[in-house]
Amino acid sequence: MQTVAMGLVPAVQAIDLRKSFGELHAVDGVSFELAAGRIYGVLGPNGSGKTTLIRMLTGLGRPTAGEARVLGVQMPSRTNLARIGYMTQSDGIYPELTAAENARFFGAMYGIRDPDAAEAALAVVELSDRAGALASQLSGGLRRRLSLACALVHRPPVLFLDEPTVGVDPALRAQFWAYFHELARDGTTIVVSSHVMDEADRCDELLFMRAGRVIAQGSGGELRARAGTSDLEQAFLQFSAQGPAA
Amino acid sequence: MSARRVVALLRRLVQELHRDRRSMALLFLAPIVLTGLMAYVLRGQLVTPVSAVVVNQAGQPGAAIVGALEGAMRTDGGTVTEAPDRAAADAALRDGTASIAIVVPADFVARLATGNEPSLTVITPGLEPTADSQQVISLQRAIATAVTQALPAAGLHLPRLDAQTLYGTPDSDVVDHLAPVFLGFFAYFFVYILTGISFLRERVGGTLERLLATPVSRGEIVLGYSLGFGLFATIQVLVLLGWTLLDVRVPAIGPLAAFSVGLAVPVAGSAGLAFLVVMLLALGAVSLGILLSTFARTELQVVQFIPLVIVPQALLSGVLFPVSSMPDILQAIARVLPLTYATDGLRQVVIRGADLGYGPLQLDVLVLAAFVAVFAVLASATIRREVV
Repeated sequence: MQTVAMGLVPAVQAIDLRKSFGELHAVDGVSFELAAGRIYGVLGPNGSGKTTLIRMLTGLGRPTAGEARVLGVQMPSRTNLARIGYMTQSDGIYPELTAAENARFFGAMYGIRDPDAAEAALAVVELSDRAGALASQLSGGLRRRLSLACALVHRPPVLFLDEPTVGVDPALRAQFWAYFHELARDGTTIVVSSHVMDEADRCDELLFMRAGRVIAQGSGGELRARAGTSDLEQAFLQFSAQGPAA
Repeated sequence: MSARRVVALLRRLVQELHRDRRSMALLFLAPIVLTGLMAYVLRGQLVTPVSAVVVNQAGQPGAAIVGALEGAMRTDGGTVTEAPDRAAADAALRDGTASIAIVVPADFVARLATGNEPSLTVITPGLEPTADSQQVISLQRAIATAVTQALPAAGLHLPRLDAQTLYGTPDSDVVDHLAPVFLGFFAYFFVYILTGISFLRERVGGTLERLLATPVSRGEIVLGYSLGFGLFATIQVLVLLGWTLLDVRVPAIGPLAAFSVGLAVPVAGSAGLAFLVVMLLALGAVSLGILLSTFARTELQVVQFIPLVIVPQALLSGVLFPVSSMPDILQAIARVLPLTYATDGLRQVVIRGADLGYGPLQLDVLVLAAFVAVFAVLASATIRREVV
């Protein structure tokens, strides 16, 4: 942990990471190093390998080749999962439990003994006043917030969010990004996948993915400058045409 | 009413079902397989050879009849031994060397000769009524042959059979025999459904993926599930067992006729031991539910496993038809079904009154415990971190 904070070991690292399903190379040789306390956006169209990449980084998928490291530990590692938060594309919460019960349950799964951890996580996403409501009775947006709270309950130094703002209205989306920046300020490394380019500028750094490869990496400003365009969407298309980043 | 809309609905259903190969297969194949299996069980029922023990209380005159009886039974492929008295015959039934005992009373020959209601006492174990009645039918044939041989004149007055059972009360009925067995079957069935659907929800609802992204181990998940549903199974079994044994007679009150609450099944052995057998079966059903939920994508598909997994067990495990009278192949299948051992164990405890010192019951309990262990391992193997 100390070495990570001092920047000696990258918070998240991929070394020539590959994952194939038969003939399909979902992730096809990806390498990067992500520093602690920053927000990274993994951007690319549907089917570009974002979810497969995140699943390998969270230890849910075993790489066909290469290495995925989180906080210096090679994944999959069960013990390392206590330091990783993961919010899936689907809500992944128990509809028959209340918001507080969901948060407490996942807290227990992460090995949290602090009885106030669940309430604290709900407070972060401003769900405290609905803590006693059944998850099934929450609106779609509130369920997304609860889902995020369940990924935060153990205060992980690294947080993976797979399309966290899909189906979320603009107001709540802005709120989500406010939470993310707050967490990053406290030192949390956040990896967000999205296929929506207008969220890109909210990230500190972007990884453009296409056909299982990272075709460009850098801040929004850098990528625009390199592509010679003021539009990130245009930049993406230009990098796509050039092929994988050298 | 638009014909086009109705036809469009019809077409959509055909398209959907056509693509759901499993439902299609089930619709046509399952009834064929199940009725085929049932026909095989029923038609293939072997007439198990009688292994009888005879007590001749009629002395020298009876010896001729007994001799003819023994001859007739041996011709049918049975085995016959003689015992000096009723106690020795009961002992032979108890240790399994004989499956039916016949007592020839002292006045039997005289009554047979005069046609004065001759009767034989026939004693069966009383554990499996179906198997017992098959033995009695075989015996009746042998008696008819023997009587006409030994005393041709008496041929018209076939002796009456006074049927007794070694275990259970003489007035025990079919419920007394079936209730303990159904207790196990229902616990197994409902726990499987509950676990299967509940775990399927974990798989499709995204919560399993989320669980697996926490440091929880697969063993912890299976153990947690077993304890959770084990708790519900415990309550269910206690309620069912209570209902089965309960015998509350409510006297007539005014115009209300007297009635009784509960099945009033007498239990010869310990109710605690019966509980142990059912609990082991239910814990195995938890793991079976987790295991089979791997192969289902919808709750409907969990239900579809019932005719494939549950019904054949009901047919083959001795719940309805005795295992001993099934064709060899089916007997071999029955021997790997956990329900077979639970059925036998429950009969041993409730009807025979066996305790844990009794060998066959030990085997039942050991096999059920092994079933729990093996299926727990298989179930945790299906909870993979890598869900493709």
